[in-house]
Amino acid sequence: MVTLLSNYLDSVRSNLRLDLSDEKDIIKELEAHIQDRLEEMKAAGLSEEEAAKRCVALLGSAKALGRQIYEAHSQYTWRQSLLAAMPHLLFGLMFALSWWHNIGWLLVTLVLIVSTVVYGWCQSKPVWLFPWLGYSLLPVVAAGLSLLFLPEGWLWVAIVIYIPLALWLVYRISVQTIKRDWLYGSLMLLPVPCIIGWLLVVEPAGSFPEYSVERVSELAPWIGLSFLALGLAVTLFMRLRRRWLKVAVLLVSGLLTLFMVTYYADGRLSLVTLLVLVLLLLGLFVTPAWLERTAGWHRQ
Amino acid sequence: MAQGRDRLLGNIEPLLLYLISQQPMYGYELITELEKRSQGYFSFKEGTLYPVLHRLEKAGLIGGQWQMLPSGRQRKYYHITERGRVTLSERAKQWRQFLSAVDLVIQSQST
Repeated sequence: MVTLLSNYLDSVRSNLRLDLSDEKDIIKELEAHIQDRLEEMKAAGLSEEEAAKRCVALLGSAKALGRQIYEAHSQYTWRQSLLAAMPHLLFGLMFALSWWHNIGWLLVTLVLIVSTVVYGWCQSKPVWLFPWLGYSLLPVVAAGLSLLFLPEGWLWVAIVIYIPLALWLVYRISVQTIKRDWLYGSLMLLPVPCIIGWLLVVEPAGSFPEYSVERVSELAPWIGLSFLALGLAVTLFMRLRRRWLKVAVLLVSGLLTLFMVTYYADGRLSLVTLLVLVLLLLGLFVTPAWLERTAGWHRQ
Repeated sequence: MAQGRDRLLGNIEPLLLYLISQQPMYGYELITELEKRSQGYFSFKEGTLYPVLHRLEKAGLIGGQWQMLPSGRQRKYYHITERGRVTLSERAKQWRQFLSAVDLVIQSQST
């Protein structure tokens, strides 16, 4: 196929941002269409180059075609939407129903997260996987925090083993996610500002590992509510067709949960901290998009 | 012709459903068939067909199936589903009612 047509199909593909198997099928279908059209034009006496140019003109803008096909595929089923919202709902319920201090429930949640992530990763990374992926980073953070409780002199364990391993894991997951679609990077990291906000509210001035259990109990219903709100937002994200609406839903839900944190913090979160958290939230949208465009973190 | 295209974009789904209900067809065939049957009236950017086909497929109104040709090439043929037939008959009924209403208005104006 002549370069013009290959470039056209590449441009369509770069705007599809769908599952690899779906993308392959769509491009194969368009290739078959182009092949038919080329044969007809060549039979009518056009040269290969002329036929290719005419074919591209008849198909219309590659960008618009890619986006319209994306919209046809980007509304996921209720089942997939629920699956995507599940980790937020689980966390929400964990706090709302005061299960967060039950070690059995924590273990069940951890096993569920890890097994779902492994299953989704092996299933060519469907969209519902990305919110789970975000929560799968929590055990990594928890492992890091637990190192602080090791006897003195064991700091080298963190420096030599944990930090490089944790950084490598976060880097690999981020690259793979953003390569699929930068928006899934934002979807994956959506709860981060909210989690940091609640951590700051629980222990704003004290020593890092000794978070007040009493304070968490007091705030648990509101912590639960903020995660449930994120779950609802993710469900909406999965059901919407238009990309800009998906971005808007994530952004608005992120801001709403941050304001929720500030409201229930009862003055324990300063305006400056809130602004920093809002900037962090915006960074979770801008950075993946920037990395995809400029750092070459996009699917070839 | 631009008017014809605009009108087609608003009604392309039932037209495609109708054509596919006659026999399984592939994308290129649908475009040529639409153009042929309308004697060139319905002519539009060919790319716009595929998002509509995929939307109908996602909605379960049509199904797609890859078929291997004797030449070794593959084509995706679309067939109508039971749900698609029900939708088509509803849309056809609405369309006939709309046309009758337009006729009535025009007739009453000319008399």
